[in-house]
Amino acid sequence: MIKSILLICFVALGLTSVAQSLYITKDAKINFNSSTTVEDIVAESNQATTIIDIDKNVIKFSVLTTSFKFRRALMEEHFNENYIESPKFPKASFTGKIGSPIDWKNEKTVSVDVTGSLTMHGVNKEITFKANITPGKSKISASSEIVVTPESFNIQIPSAVRDKIAKEVTIKIEAVYAPYQQ
Amino acid sequence: MMKKKSVVRLVIWLLLIGIVTAFSAIYYVFNMPRRNLSKEVAVYSLAAKQLINDYQIDETFANKKYLDKAITVRGIIRSVRTLENHTMIFSIEDAMEGVSCTLDSADVVKYQTKLDLIKIGTEGTFKGRCAGKLMDIQIINCIPQ
Repeated sequence: MIKSILLICFVALGLTSVAQSLYITKDAKINFNSSTTVEDIVAESNQATTIIDIDKNVIKFSVLTTSFKFRRALMEEHFNENYIESPKFPKASFTGKIGSPIDWKNEKTVSVDVTGSLTMHGVNKEITFKANITPGKSKISASSEIVVTPESFNIQIPSAVRDKIAKEVTIKIEAVYAPYQQ
Repeated sequence: MMKKKSVVRLVIWLLLIGIVTAFSAIYYVFNMPRRNLSKEVAVYSLAAKQLINDYQIDETFANKKYLDKAITVRGIIRSVRTLENHTMIFSIEDAMEGVSCTLDSADVVKYQTKLDLIKIGTEGTFKGRCAGKLMDIQIINCIPQ
């Protein structure tokens, strides 16, 4: 009897510790800017899902490409149909590791390197970027900026409009994570 | 002499009409309206559980069937949240891995009275555009039914 109660306690403890190492948000903000002097091209989505595992120092991030909103419906159509090809590749995702150890109990913003693979438009690329992470008791905040070139993800931009779209696209991410409760 | 003059006049008129048509066509395409889901007939109307099931079985196949289509889903509301930019998200059947229906801020204002009637634990129905699946299946530009 005592044995089984102990067992249940251990299992319960094990489960809570697993759950507590995960922090999640499904409302992360992601925007990108590929403006040039000719055209302002800014798009935003508030529906990126991201998870941090503070035991493994792993960050996962994914967004559905059709959830990006542009200033003009025409831009959205071009982005989804011609460039990112949402019907074929509906998801963009990243999985990576935080480069240096973080004291998750210290509520101070730290700047860390994150390295991992970014998959977009069906192309997988190893990238490293800086991220600012602020641990907290009930939440973790994180923000980052990633610079990518459309061509490195096999996104072909016709020469007729090449001058309208920036050569380097800046992706900004802001997320506030809460403990994952199942 | 008269004939030549009227031919020239006709050509000028045709040119003018052509230019105006071309410019208005360009203007329309450049400023084309967004998809308005309230005016679209749903291609599929189904229970959220069915949609979750279809995505669980084969995501690629489910995307082929549902992605970017106007669909109507119904199910038990498990959570409701409003974001900073006033968009509203209703999670159906499961708060984490169910179906998330997102309403744009303009539609939140437009359908406020209808939305006020939707309570957690009761059934809700939304028509929207299927964006695919992350942890949950995301339906965007939703309109309450």
